[in-house]
Amino acid sequence: MIAFLTHNMAPLMFAGLVVFMLFGYPAAFSLAAVGLLFGFIGIELGLIHPDFLGNIIFQLESVLGNDLLLAIPFFTLMGAILERCGLAEDLLEGFGQLFGGVRGGLSYAVILVGAVLGAITGTVAASVIAMGLISLPIMMKYGYSVRHATGVIAASGTITQLIPPSLVLVVLADQLGKPVGQMYLGAMGPSVVQVLLFMAWVLILSIIRPQDVPALPPEARTLKGWALVNRCIRGMVPSLALIFIVLGTIFLGLATATEAGAMGVVGAYFLAWINRKLTWNLSWQGMQTTMRITAMVVFILLGARVFSLVFQGVGGKEWIESFLVALPGGQVGFLVFVNLFVFVLAFFLDFFEIAFIIVPLLAPAAEALGINLIWFGVLLGANMQTSFMHPPFGFALFYLRGIAPPSVRSSDIYRGAIPWVILQLILVGILIAFPEIVNVFLDKDLVVDPNIQITVPDNGTDLTAPPVIDLSQPPAVNP
Amino acid sequence: MEVLLRLGRAVDAFNHWTWPVPTLAIVLAVVVTAFIPPLRLAAIRAVDGLSRWTGLIATWLVLLAALVSAFNAAFRYSIGAILYIDTQLRVFGGGLGFLFDLYRNNSNSLRDVQLIMFAGMVMLGASWTLKMNEHVRVDLIYGSVGYRKRTWIDLIGGILFLVPMCVTMIYFSWGWFLESWTGDEMSSNAGGLPRWPFKIFLPLGFALLLLQGLSEIFKCIAALTSNFQREHAYEKPVQ
Repeated sequence: MIAFLTHNMAPLMFAGLVVFMLFGYPAAFSLAAVGLLFGFIGIELGLIHPDFLGNIIFQLESVLGNDLLLAIPFFTLMGAILERCGLAEDLLEGFGQLFGGVRGGLSYAVILVGAVLGAITGTVAASVIAMGLISLPIMMKYGYSVRHATGVIAASGTITQLIPPSLVLVVLADQLGKPVGQMYLGAMGPSVVQVLLFMAWVLILSIIRPQDVPALPPEARTLKGWALVNRCIRGMVPSLALIFIVLGTIFLGLATATEAGAMGVVGAYFLAWINRKLTWNLSWQGMQTTMRITAMVVFILLGARVFSLVFQGVGGKEWIESFLVALPGGQVGFLVFVNLFVFVLAFFLDFFEIAFIIVPLLAPAAEALGINLIWFGVLLGANMQTSFMHPPFGFALFYLRGIAPPSVRSSDIYRGAIPWVILQLILVGILIAFPEIVNVFLDKDLVVDPNIQITVPDNGTDLTAPPVIDLSQPPAVNP
Repeated sequence: MEVLLRLGRAVDAFNHWTWPVPTLAIVLAVVVTAFIPPLRLAAIRAVDGLSRWTGLIATWLVLLAALVSAFNAAFRYSIGAILYIDTQLRVFGGGLGFLFDLYRNNSNSLRDVQLIMFAGMVMLGASWTLKMNEHVRVDLIYGSVGYRKRTWIDLIGGILFLVPMCVTMIYFSWGWFLESWTGDEMSSNAGGLPRWPFKIFLPLGFALLLLQGLSEIFKCIAALTSNFQREHAYEKPVQ
C-alpha cells in the first residue's frame, strides 16, 4: 500500500485535485488544500523534505510581488469605467449608420466596434455589456434574427480576449514566462484573421439567409453627409487616443503593460468625464467589482502555486511531461491533443483556472517539443475564447442574458453562439496550420554565426602560465 | 513504534504548557461559540463588520494603485518637458529642478508602494469576497444541488479546506514577516521602502480570511440548525 502510494503520488495527487475541485468549494481554497494535504502525505512518505513546504511562502510572495499581475485590476477597472462612459454608443451609432444600408450592416458595425473596443480594453464584460445594451434593441427593432444578433454581439465581445491589450494574454505571458509585449505582437495577426472570419460569415449569411440580416430602411438612417462623418469622428478620435495611451506606449516600449493599464484607467475616467457620464456611483461600482475580481483571481493563482509546488515536489512535472511528450504525432499531435483538452476543460473550468493550473503543466512539454511558447500562448488564448461562448462558464452569454430584454429566450442566446464557436475553432485550426500568422510580427531570433573567432591580442604574456600572485601562501592581513 | 514516539512527544509538549494548551482553548472557544446561537450571531456580525472595513480599504487601494502607477509612467516622460519649458521660458522661475530630484530619489518607492497596494487589495479584499460568495467554483455539482446541500458543501469545505489552509499559511508567513520586521529588511530596489508593510499582508490577510471562514461556517451551522438564511447566493463572478 505504502509502496503503491509512493510510486503513484503524482497521478494520485492529480486525481485528488479533480475530486477536490468537483466538490464545489471555491477553487482557490480547494487547490491550496489539495496541495497542503498531499504535501503532508509526501513528507510522511519521505517523498519530499519537510523544509520543502516552507517554499510556499516564497511562491506566495512572488505572486503578490508580481508587477505584471497588477495589470489585472487596472484593465478590469478600465473596462468597468469604459462600459458606461458613452464611447461604445458613439462608435456603434456612427458605424451602424455608415454600414446600415447594406445587408448585415449592423453586424459588421458590431464586429468592428468589438475590435476597436477590444484594442482599447482587455475585458470581455465591458465590450459585451456596452454593445448589448446599445445594439441588441436596434437589431431586434429592424428585424435581425434574435439568434444572430445575440451571437454576433457575444462573439464580437470575446474578440477582446485576443486583441491586445488583452488580460488573457497578460496572464498567459506570466504563466509561460514570456514578455507581454511579444505576446501582444504575436496576437496582432490572429486578431485580424478573426475579424475577417467573422465578417466573412456575416457576408455568407447575408447571401444564404438574407431575412436574418436585413438592411436598414432609409428612414432609419437619419445621419447623412457631414453629420455622419462627425459622428464617426466623435467615436474614433477618443478611441484612437486611448489605443495609443494603452497599446501604443507598450509597443513603443514607453511603458510596461501594467503602467499602460493604469494610464488607460485615467484615460477612461477622463473620457467618462468629458461625456458627462462620470458619477461617483459609476466609479465606486467599478472599484468594488475590480477589487473582488482581483482578489478572486489572485487567490486562484495563490492556490494554484501551492498546488504546483507540491505537485512538482512529488514528481508530477516529469509525469505529465513524459505523458505529453510521448503523444503520437510529435508537435502536431501534441497541439491537437492540447487544444481538444483545453476546449473540453473549458466546459468545466473558467479561464483563470485553466491558465493557472493547466498551462504550467503544458508549458514544459511544449518547450521540450520545440514549440515557440509565444505562438503556443496565442493559440491557447484563441482557443480559450470559446470558453466565453458556451455554457456553463460562457461569461459573454451570461452578461448578454443579464442585459437582454426578457423577450429574448436563453435558448436563443445559447444556440446563436454555436456558429461563432465554430468560427473560433476554425481560427485555432488556421493558426496551427499557418504559424506565420503569429510569428511574422515577432522579433526575429538572433542568428548566431558559429564560425566567429575571437582572438586575444598577443602582448607577450603566456596565458597558460600560473598567475603571478603566489596562491600557496595565505594573504597578509594587517593586525 | 513511530506512533508511540509521536504520542510521547505530543504529551511532552502538553507537559510543558506550550502551544497545545492555548490552541485547544481557542478551538474549544470557537466550537462553543458555534453552538450557542446568540454568541454565534454576535461573532458573525463582528467578523462581517471587520471584513466590510477591510473590503472598503481594498476598494480604495484599487483606485490609488492605478493613480500612482499612471502618475509614475506619465511623470517619467513629462518631467523632461516640464524642466525644459521651465529653464527655457522661465515660467516658474527655473526653480522646478527640485521636482526632478524628488522624483529621481523616490521613483523606486512609487514602484514599491504599488506592490504594497496590490498585496493589500488582494489580501484585504479576499475576506469580503468570501463573504459576498464571489470566489469562483467548479459548479458542476454545486450548481445542480439544492440550497441545503450547498450549505453542507460550504460547511464541510470550510472546515476541511479553508480553515486548515489558513492556519498553515499563517504559520508559514508569520515568522517570515517577523524576520523582516525585526531585521528592518529594505526593498531590493535602491531607495525603496521597507519590506514589512508588504509582508504583513500575508499573515494579516490569511487571518482575516480565517475569521471570515469561521463566520461562514457559523452561518452554515445556523442555516442547518435554525431558520437562518444565508444572504448571498452563489452567482458566477463577473469578469
